[in-house]
Amino acid sequence: MTLVSVRSFSSSVSLGKAACAQVKPVHHKVRIIKKNLSPRFPELKYPSHDIKSPKFRPYLTHLDRVDHHYHNVLESDLLLIGYRHGQQPIYGNKRRHWDMSSPYQINRPLRKPKGQIVPSQTINPRDTGNIAKLQSISINCFVKDAKQYPAMAIGATLQLQQITGVKPKPIYAKTNVPNWKLRPGMKMGAKVELFGRDASQFLSTLTEIVLPRIGEFNGISNRAGDRYGNIAFGLTSDHIKYFPEIELNQDSWPNLYGFDITLHTTAQTDADARILLSGLGLPFVGSERIPKTLLDDLTVHPYEN
Amino acid sequence: MYTSRAAIRVVSHVKPTQQVRYKRDKTGLNPQLERIVSQLSVMSAGRKQPRLLKLCNEDYVKHKTVMKAWSHYRKAKIQENEKLLQKQYESMKEAVSELQNLSPELFEIANEHQYGKRFPLELRVPTEYPPRQIWFYDYFPKQEAK
Repeated sequence: MTLVSVRSFSSSVSLGKAACAQVKPVHHKVRIIKKNLSPRFPELKYPSHDIKSPKFRPYLTHLDRVDHHYHNVLESDLLLIGYRHGQQPIYGNKRRHWDMSSPYQINRPLRKPKGQIVPSQTINPRDTGNIAKLQSISINCFVKDAKQYPAMAIGATLQLQQITGVKPKPIYAKTNVPNWKLRPGMKMGAKVELFGRDASQFLSTLTEIVLPRIGEFNGISNRAGDRYGNIAFGLTSDHIKYFPEIELNQDSWPNLYGFDITLHTTAQTDADARILLSGLGLPFVGSERIPKTLLDDLTVHPYEN
Repeated sequence: MYTSRAAIRVVSHVKPTQQVRYKRDKTGLNPQLERIVSQLSVMSAGRKQPRLLKLCNEDYVKHKTVMKAWSHYRKAKIQENEKLLQKQYESMKEAVSELQNLSPELFEIANEHQYGKRFPLELRVPTEYPPRQIWFYDYFPKQEAK
């Protein structure tokens, strides 16, 4: 037997021995659901979509107007608007491989992408598979005064639940700022993420009832966005009173709380997301900045990694 | 070691914000606390779950059959929509490549990027019933300030 030198720390590799057990640890991967093992409580074993399950919730109860509008009107138009003949993929900054100049690099996780910490996405040419769609709406209500008056966080939570019809989750302070008397773990408000019909319902209330009546609202800023197709804007406490759930019962709302709304879309860029949202009835104002890399998408960019 | 209830009742006129699990006295909670309690009770899931439906086996099978058939119908609709989009995409591609051969100048114009394009604000999400005023005959779009 000839010894072949392999660049590694392990001394057993060259001898043809395994350094660890070669049997795959399958038992870690198989999840054991105990309720299925026991013969008791058969009604708890139904899947949640089964009508016999206590978790069952009818969800296809009515027509989803916004979804209908999207599929009948917007989708084909968005395909046409976004299509460019000969469009090339714009590669994002991905994690890089090590050059393996040192044996310490052998099992290391990949290097950070160039000039940033989180890798960015590749923007693919327009196709039927990547037409922008509204995915979800998340509402975040952070009440500054909740550190002094913890009851305010409860009020904000209830307000979100009344407006959206979905149970909110509490948000807690993360940082310790002694000057503001803010400590981690303090309940500071609530957040909600809306999907499907709930999101459509909220969006139509927003675009048809609330936003048209806000005098100073001209539109969402064209500069808003996180580069990856999620657009956010805020409503102050003065604007909340236009929601019909609040307006019809103003006496029981002595204080209202403003919140931030993030519209999550599957668009690859903010510019695409804005085109989609304008079709759903949201106005945009201000000058728009389009990144230069997006504009020259007809030239072939090499994939550097 | 233990405080007697009588001793606590003496101090209870102070109305502390902390709740103690004793019998409520006649005056009840102070209005602020009552408000918080009612707000929390609106949000809690207690006694709000509707009764579980009790279906006989025949009804259960019927329900499952109808739901399955409906889901097939919806799936077919989605697939039809996807096919239609695919067809549109293919014909768009074909038309533009033909234009590229016929007239490169027109192709340049047709192939410009469309960033910044917006759907008109007058485009409405359709409702089940028509509005009271069907059409605004005297309407003209607002001129944008330059």
